[in-house]
Amino acid sequence: MADPGGFDHSGGGAAADAAIGPAPRPFDPWPATIFVILLCLAVLFLAPTLGVLLSSIKTTREIAFGELWMFPARIYLGNFAEVIANPAVHRYFVNTFLVTVPATALSITFGVLAGYVFAKLPFKGGNLLFLAIVSGMFFPPQVILIPLFRLFNGLGLIDTLWPIIFIHTAMGIPICTLLMRNFFATVPGALREAAILEGANEWQVLTRIALPLSLPALAVLATLQFTWIWNDFLWPLIFTQSDEKRTIMLGIVNLKGQYSVAWGVQGALSLIASLPTLIVFLFFQRYFIKGMTMGAVKG
Amino acid sequence: MERENRFWRIVLLALPLAVFAVLVVWPLFSSFYYSFTNWNGFDSRYEFVGFRNFAKIYTDKLFLNAAINTAIWMVAAILLPTLLGLGLALLIDSRIPGGTIFKSVFYLPICLSAVVVGQIWVWIYQQDWGLLNTVIWTVTGERPAIAWLAKPETALGSVIVAWSWQQTGLSMVIYLAGLVSIQEELLEVCEIEGASAWQRIRLVIIPLLTPATIVVIALSVINSLKGFDILFIMTGGGPFHSSDTLAMHMYNESFRKYLMGYGSAISVVLFLIALTIIRIYFRQLRKLDEIHG
Repeated sequence: MADPGGFDHSGGGAAADAAIGPAPRPFDPWPATIFVILLCLAVLFLAPTLGVLLSSIKTTREIAFGELWMFPARIYLGNFAEVIANPAVHRYFVNTFLVTVPATALSITFGVLAGYVFAKLPFKGGNLLFLAIVSGMFFPPQVILIPLFRLFNGLGLIDTLWPIIFIHTAMGIPICTLLMRNFFATVPGALREAAILEGANEWQVLTRIALPLSLPALAVLATLQFTWIWNDFLWPLIFTQSDEKRTIMLGIVNLKGQYSVAWGVQGALSLIASLPTLIVFLFFQRYFIKGMTMGAVKG
Repeated sequence: MERENRFWRIVLLALPLAVFAVLVVWPLFSSFYYSFTNWNGFDSRYEFVGFRNFAKIYTDKLFLNAAINTAIWMVAAILLPTLLGLGLALLIDSRIPGGTIFKSVFYLPICLSAVVVGQIWVWIYQQDWGLLNTVIWTVTGERPAIAWLAKPETALGSVIVAWSWQQTGLSMVIYLAGLVSIQEELLEVCEIEGASAWQRIRLVIIPLLTPATIVVIALSVINSLKGFDILFIMTGGGPFHSSDTLAMHMYNESFRKYLMGYGSAISVVLFLIALTIIRIYFRQLRKLDEIHG
């Protein structure tokens, strides 16, 4: 139980107050102890991320002398300047947006369509079909890697961004369908029936009644899908070959050769590459966590 | 009315189902098909080789090695992120100040990509100026010369630690969601009856968190089967295949040696393992439903 006295280091003051108050309480050391334990763990957990931050504002010389993990005497911004001036980085960014934005939008659209049917227009065998789609979430992508490689190779789409967009759209359908079905299930059926009696068709119910109500669910999916697709490594690794088509995560790996001992530049590069997902995380953290737990618990 | 419903079902489901069927379901079955061939990835021609690819799995020492590593990874995945996540959730749930900030700190690594996480940890394990060796140096006074990722004995364990660091936040939030659903009155009764904090956690909270635990373990095991990106970045499966997993082995055989037939056979095995785990998971969830109604 939260005991404000627990943070009173003297302890005596709290005891004296308690003696006057109606319910005397013994000094509880637990909240303070827990706070300290959590603080230590938090520092431990932050250390790796902090390392990247620190490296990005140091010169290679400082890092080579073993000073990566210390706070710098002065902030060096040359690493960021180097990354921002690199045209390859711009290209990687554009490519990643070209993949992430359409794939996020398409997978959510399909999830909305399918989720609506499973929630509001139940049919025989529908539950089984729903389960089959949702279980797609659990399989390692390696399971479908080779046939997809053959398919897109045959279509002449190797070393383009198309396969990555298509595949992320398809692989996003399970989670999007799951969350949208669960959300639509909470929209009162009476709303739909009233609209239908008034002469609306199913499409109008979906777009004018159900969708405006489901903005929170859409936000959850947008944050999840954006983060996953932005961070993905496997599919661009398989389907892109030339540097012109690389996405940012592969780009970082490519540039490692170029900046092999320029650790500071590598740090700045990692940080800039993570910026979009970090921004999404900071602003939509609530939705992000909700999506993770919803997807996990209901799956 | 029913006719209209059927029309809309077809219209709304057609596109999502078609995309899912073409890009997920069909490739899944194709993997089975290719696992019986010797396709090399480029020729349009290939031959059927029957069960030869599966027979090869039995004799392939690298497959056995990868399977053992995957098993080690799974066990570690069940223990590390689950226990850590549970511990953190219990600590944060004790209503200390700054709980939300702590939650974000532990959750932050989840939104970083495997590439970035891999790079961070490569630096931690770096031989000359890495954080780990620096700490050991400060504590013991002796300068350790361990290249954690370059030694077969430590490579896999080092990657697992990095991966657990990222996964812990996920199990923590699932446990926190589970803790919210435990009734306040129940815990108050425990306090009135004189149960200690430890008794309360061990005898009441943890049993009530069983659904969350099932979810956390299932997710960890499934994610460990997917263990690829971070390995690719940190060790590439090396040194000497000491950190190969099944997913990594599949990639190597298919896209480095161009043995796509054999790679398909490995992916079929991966599929069967995942299927088994998913079935156990759903059965456990159903059992819980029966108990709790």
